[in-house]
Parts: sequence; structure tokens; C-alpha cells
Amino acid sequence: MNYTSLFGYLLGEVVLTAAAFVILIADVMCHRKDDVGARNQRMAWWTLTGLFLAAVVYAIQFAQGNANFADGTLVINPLNLFFKEVILVITAITVFFSMEEPVSKHVGEYYAMILFAAIGMAFLVTSENLLMIFVSIELLSLSLYALVGFQKQILRSAEGAMKYFAFGAVSAAFLLFGLSYIYGATNSLSLPAIAETFKGDPLMARSPVLLIGILFTLVGFGFKIAVVPFHLWAPDAYEGAAAPVAGFVASGSKVASFVALTKFLLLGVAPAAGAATISFPFTPHFTPGWAPVIALMAFISMVWGNLAAITQTNLKRLLAYSSVAHAGYILVALFGAKAWGQTAIYFYIIVYALTNLGAFGVVTALANKVGGDDIRCFAGVWRRAPGLTVLMMIFMLSLAGIPPLAGFFGKFYLFAAGLAADQMQLGYLWLVITAILMSAVSFYYYLQVLRVFYVNPASRGGPISICPCQRWPMTVIALIIFLIGWYPTALLDWIQGFLQRV
Amino acid sequence: MNIALSDYLLVSAALFAIGLAGVVMRRNTLVIYMSLEMMLNASNLALAAFSKFNAALNGQILVFFIITVAAAEVAVGLAIIVALFRVRQTVSADEINLMKY
Repeated sequence: MNYTSLFGYLLGEVVLTAAAFVILIADVMCHRKDDVGARNQRMAWWTLTGLFLAAVVYAIQFAQGNANFADGTLVINPLNLFFKEVILVITAITVFFSMEEPVSKHVGEYYAMILFAAIGMAFLVTSENLLMIFVSIELLSLSLYALVGFQKQILRSAEGAMKYFAFGAVSAAFLLFGLSYIYGATNSLSLPAIAETFKGDPLMARSPVLLIGILFTLVGFGFKIAVVPFHLWAPDAYEGAAAPVAGFVASGSKVASFVALTKFLLLGVAPAAGAATISFPFTPHFTPGWAPVIALMAFISMVWGNLAAITQTNLKRLLAYSSVAHAGYILVALFGAKAWGQTAIYFYIIVYALTNLGAFGVVTALANKVGGDDIRCFAGVWRRAPGLTVLMMIFMLSLAGIPPLAGFFGKFYLFAAGLAADQMQLGYLWLVITAILMSAVSFYYYLQVLRVFYVNPASRGGPISICPCQRWPMTVIALIIFLIGWYPTALLDWIQGFLQRV
Repeated sequence: MNIALSDYLLVSAALFAIGLAGVVMRRNTLVIYMSLEMMLNASNLALAAFSKFNAALNGQILVFFIITVAAAEVAVGLAIIVALFRVRQTVSADEINLMKY
């Protein structure tokens, strides 16, 4: 291993770290006396500069070849670089959303925390080593706990952070315990090496130590992606956090965690899948492995997430439960054939993260001006902010999965991958049927939100002015969703091309 | 005396179970944090034992990372407790009940 080249491959993360420290120091040294609003904007531009430089570095690395450092600790290939770019875009949009109004008076710390979280996500998508996966999940989580509790004088924020932390720390302990058992069973930490051990030893896939390890690891990942029964933190953390932070937790950390989970299951322990098929007429066939666990989590998440979302009165909580349901849909594709399932998941997670980020952007832009983030506060808001309401319609319809928006094709690919699972024997048809039925249920609450926005009697007050720093990113997101909806194969071909060059 | 791998794993599993029980049953958030540390240390023990019996060092390296991460985690956790105590004047998990369902 050559340390100069290692530094070269880590340059993007180095730039982000440097930006975080520059922001921390500059805020204290130069801008302490300035007005909070002006400081907030200046720090936001510093952050954006750092993100932009890192994006340039990653773009240059595309041209270089693949690399693998220290047993999969750092894996550079087009797919990982692409996801790093996606994470930078999501982070940049979050920064734009926080620009208008400072989340708290500790501006420098806020942006530094966002950058640290982004570094955690970047490492999470780029590592194929259990050690690095654990450390980067912790870097990501610790930054997010702090961000959720950032408005510490507000009780909801502190309470949301407390709950997020308590659940997160327990699940980190589960994840770690699981990883240690997987290490014990396979005697290796890197995912490809773990996959190798299955080839030499046919009994490995049934080894109880390994299966316990996988089960505990899935508990840890289940928390990060917020699937039932590990979703309890999500509504509270989203409600307590400032809206841009909630959007960041719901999109960026989801992307990174899903990429890591997909790699862990399909790259590392794929042979230990087991089965959870129900073939026609009704002959269930369950064998131990991760498939029954994932199938169960997907099933309850889809049912419970959608049903619980119906009763919500707070828009952020509704989005939290909808994200639980979406996590369930995504898990369905894990059973698909390896390449097809991976493509479907990567496609959907990008579309979903952007859409969700846009929806939280609408909440950010409007909540203070309509007097809260309860759904009823947004009544008739289209008279006061017509452009933003149209954007909200695009985001909601895409989340619901209405063609020709990107969300429809995302769901279509997911469910198609689920159908093609089990060597075309339709063994996972039961999950796909649940997913389709539950998507139909989800129309109800997404349209309910739109009904409030458009139909309900208008709230008093004149037109709402939206800061360009929020209007433009949201418009761009809506455009991307439209474009992916019209040309879904473009993004699909990209992802497939990257997968072939892994 | 010969200590087998299963003995280490038994102790580690017991530590994990005690920690989990503490998290679930205790009401004081500070005690909950202490139990969390115990859960992390359970995996440290398992890793060190696996590392010894697999005759590989990377498990023990992971232990050092975990110790560091656990310290960082406590720092963030205590900060959150302090923030919550300032607005709520309590460290009891029963009274952190503003948001539900």
C-alpha cells in the first residue's frame, strides 16, 4: 500500500474535512460579531464551496481506474463514486434549504456537522469492509444525533434527539455484536473475502454463529433504514428536527445505508439467504437465512407504515411513516436476481431521496410562514404560494407512484425485480402483491395532503415570498423527477454501466 | 486451566443480555447509557476472543476502533441529556413523552 496514492484516492473526503474545520475556525475567528443571518449565509457558501471542490475531485477520479485499499476498506469504482456525487448533491441541497434562516445561533457548528455527516455517508458507500462500515455508520449517526438536537432550547428537538440517540445506540450495539459473530464465523472483515468462505465450505451458509451474526446485523441496519419494528425513532426525530435536517436524515442517510445494506447482503452473505417463498396454491417454504427476516420486515413495514401514515396530522410525521413504507418496498427487490435487484434498488433510492428532499424543502419554505408543520396549517396555501404548491404536487404524486413521474418507474423496477426472484417461480409474489395493494393505500394520504393544499378554505394572509435559495433547488429536483420519468432508461443504463465496471 | 471459545462467547452473550435488559427496564437515562456501554463491550469481548481463536489480529484492531467510537458516542449522548435536562428538568425516560405515535 502506497500512502501517496491512498491520499489521492481519499482527496474528496480530505477536502470535506478541511472545509469543516475551516468553517469552524472562520466562524469563531472572523464572524463572531456579525449578525446571525449574515453569518449563516457566509458559512453556507463556505460549505457549498467545499462540497463543490469534493465533487470535482470525485469527477476526476471517475477517469482513473478502480482501486481497492486495505482489504476493501476503501473501494474506488464508478458506482461508489457515483453515489458519493449523489450524496454531495443531497448535502448541497440541504445547505441551500438552511440558508434563508439559521437553525440556531451556532452557525459554524451546524454546517460542520452537516459536512461530517456527509463524510460519514461518503465512507459508508465506498467501503466493503465490516470495520469501516461500522465506523462510518457511527460517524454518520453521531453527526445526525447532534443535528436533530440542534435547536436545543426547543423541547421537541431535544426529545427527538434523545429518542434518536437511544434507539440508535442500541442498534449500533446490535450491529456490532452481529459483525463480531460474522467475523468469528468467517475469519475475515472484508465482504468479498466473506463471500469467498462460502465457496470452500458448503456448511457455512447454515452455520449458527453466522446466522446469529446476520440477524443482529440486520437489526442494526433495520434501524438505519427505519423499517418496522425498528422505526419508532423516525417520526419523533423528524418532527423534532428542523425541517432541512429532517430532510437530510430522510434522504442522505437513507441512500448511504441502503447502499451499504445492499452490498452487505448481495456482495457479502448472499449464499446465506435462505428462503421465504410462498408458492401457489399456499405452500410456504421457509429456510433459515436473511431472506425470511428481510421478507418479514418488508411486509410489516409496508402494511404498518402506510396504515399509520393515514392517521397522522403532522406533515413531517406523515413523511416519516411514508419513508417507513418506502423502505419496505425497497427491501422487496433484494430477493431479485443480483444484478437486476441491485439496479432497481439503486435507481429507486436515488429517486426516492430526491423526491423526499423536495417534500421536506416545501415544509422548510412554508412551515414558519403558515404557522407550523401540522397538515391543517397548509390549508389553501396554493393561493399564497402557487409555484411551490405545484412542486409539492409533483413530489407527492411521485412518492405515490403516478406515471409519468420517476416514482412510478422506480416502483415498477422494484416490483419487477421482486417478481423475477426465486428463479421465476413467483415465490415472492405475496410480497409484491402486498406492495402493490399498499401503494394503492398510500394514494389516500398523499392525495389528502394535496387536498389540504389546494381545496381546503384558504388561510388568511398575502402571498408568501420564497427565498431563491429554496425555490431553485426544489425546481431542479422537480425537473429531475420529470426527466427521469420521461427517460427512465437513461438513469437505468448509467447504473447498469457502473455495475458492470465494478 | 483451559478456557474454550464458547466460554468467552457465553460471558459476552451474558453481558449483552444484561446490557439490553438494563436499557429496556431502567428509567434513568444515565443508567441507560451505562447499559449501552455494556452492550458495546460485550461485542469487544467477543471480537477479542474470536481474534485469538482465529489466530488473526484484525479483530483486535476493530476493538480499538470500537473503544474510540464508544467514547465519542457517550460524549454526544451526555450532551443530549444535558440539553434535555435544561429544558425539561428531568433525566427520567418516563417523562420524555411529548411526541407519541
